[in-house]
Amino acid sequence: MQISKKTRQQLDLLKLLVKKETAVRYKRTYLGFLWSLLNPLLTALVLFIAFNVFMRFQIENFALFLLAALFPWTWFASSVTISTNALTGNVSLIKKVIFPKHFLLLATIIAQLVNFVFSLPVLIVLVFFYGGVPSLNWLIGIPVLIMVQFVVIYGLALMISVANVYFRDLEYIVGVLISLLFWMTPIIYPLEAVPAEARVLLAMNPVTYLMQAWRDLFFSNTLNWQYILVSGITAAVVLLAGLLIFRKLERKLDEVL
Amino acid sequence: MIKAENLWKSFPMRRDRPGLKEFVVNAPKFLKDNGHRFWALKGVSLAVEKGGSLGVIGRNGAGKSTLLSLLLGVARPTTGHIEVNGKRTPLLELGAGFHPDLTGLENIVINGVLLGYTEAEVRDRMESIVAFSELGEFISMPIRTYSSGMQMRLAFSIAVHTDPEILLIDEILAVGDESFQRKSGQALLELIKGGVTTVYVSHGMEAVKKICDRAIWLEQGEIRSEGEAGLVVEEYLKAQGQA
Repeated sequence: MQISKKTRQQLDLLKLLVKKETAVRYKRTYLGFLWSLLNPLLTALVLFIAFNVFMRFQIENFALFLLAALFPWTWFASSVTISTNALTGNVSLIKKVIFPKHFLLLATIIAQLVNFVFSLPVLIVLVFFYGGVPSLNWLIGIPVLIMVQFVVIYGLALMISVANVYFRDLEYIVGVLISLLFWMTPIIYPLEAVPAEARVLLAMNPVTYLMQAWRDLFFSNTLNWQYILVSGITAAVVLLAGLLIFRKLERKLDEVL
Repeated sequence: MIKAENLWKSFPMRRDRPGLKEFVVNAPKFLKDNGHRFWALKGVSLAVEKGGSLGVIGRNGAGKSTLLSLLLGVARPTTGHIEVNGKRTPLLELGAGFHPDLTGLENIVINGVLLGYTEAEVRDRMESIVAFSELGEFISMPIRTYSSGMQMRLAFSIAVHTDPEILLIDEILAVGDESFQRKSGQALLELIKGGVTTVYVSHGMEAVKKICDRAIWLEQGEIRSEGEAGLVVEEYLKAQGQA
């Protein structure tokens, strides 16, 4: 396939930014890239002990139940958190070099996606461990859900990163909101456990059905098209809003950074 | 070719962040951002024909760097029109985008691609960039281990190897030690005399006279004088002497 030099250069730039993002994050640690896997696993261990051992949640195969939603959640949460500073943390680049600024966000999200993809084998091993078998559903479900989740993260990242330039308190607010959102998302509990009156609250959360769809895929081996559709529409709306806000606020970035 | 007509550029002038209470009470006002604005450029027009070189002189805060960032395209004029034909290479803040934990070689690739090359094109030029920088073995070390002079040398080496069509220079001729300064000055001069369109912001009056054929003198965002470089420099120096 013949692609123009300009496209080639843009692709190279995006690739290098992703590489830089991954290389730099763990550059001076001993365990390096392994941390990106270790991090969610250790979090999972803590949650497992707290809710399975101490509080004795009656959920079968709790480890798989937890990780099936926790890995995609980690991709979501870390991408959103890191992109909050993607613009404010690259002032010299933005003010001195001409390049598409949204690449900084895309690079962050893709770098975190790479981590997520590397965590998938752990899930698959767990599925085997609990007696499951790989299924055709995965071949369809994984790419579709990754796409939906990419869109919703990108939309949020567009809004938050550019808003943080004007309103720096956002950085701290996002930190709090993400941990709040964690408990408002069916990750350590199933969606069905939430009383009907309270479901409205969860419906306002843009990733509720997405995380539930991930779990349905790995835990129950089903493609829940209803949830996937709802998540997809939510993602599209979030992306549209993100693009509009980013486009509007980006024009005056040089004046406030 | 660069052509700019009647450029105006203003920045919001906030004394401080509003406190929370003030912000909530006056939220519409702050969001509208109709407070005081500082005008960094007030109706500047200029033209540099292909292969020409324009010096921009003036005191600190006269609007020189703002003008450059508009010409580069990282900022938009509040009003006015800019037309630039050709690939722009900034020599503003050398090493913008360098990452301290990456090696010299890795940073060359990222920087070169940021300046508009494909990765393959950068790798083709890698050898001459490395040779020019005279960094030797340091080239494969993280650049946080470099002295600031070494970082500047690396950044400069990348910039002059990008076959620029339009150079936008902000006061950088003083790179590294004396021998490298001579070498970099020479390389730059060759580019400029070799037909690269140049806008050169500097406080070094001798350099402006040597490098540029024309010059403008900015004062408080307006052109105070323009014309043949030597004459504008003389006029400027005379005015400074009186002040």
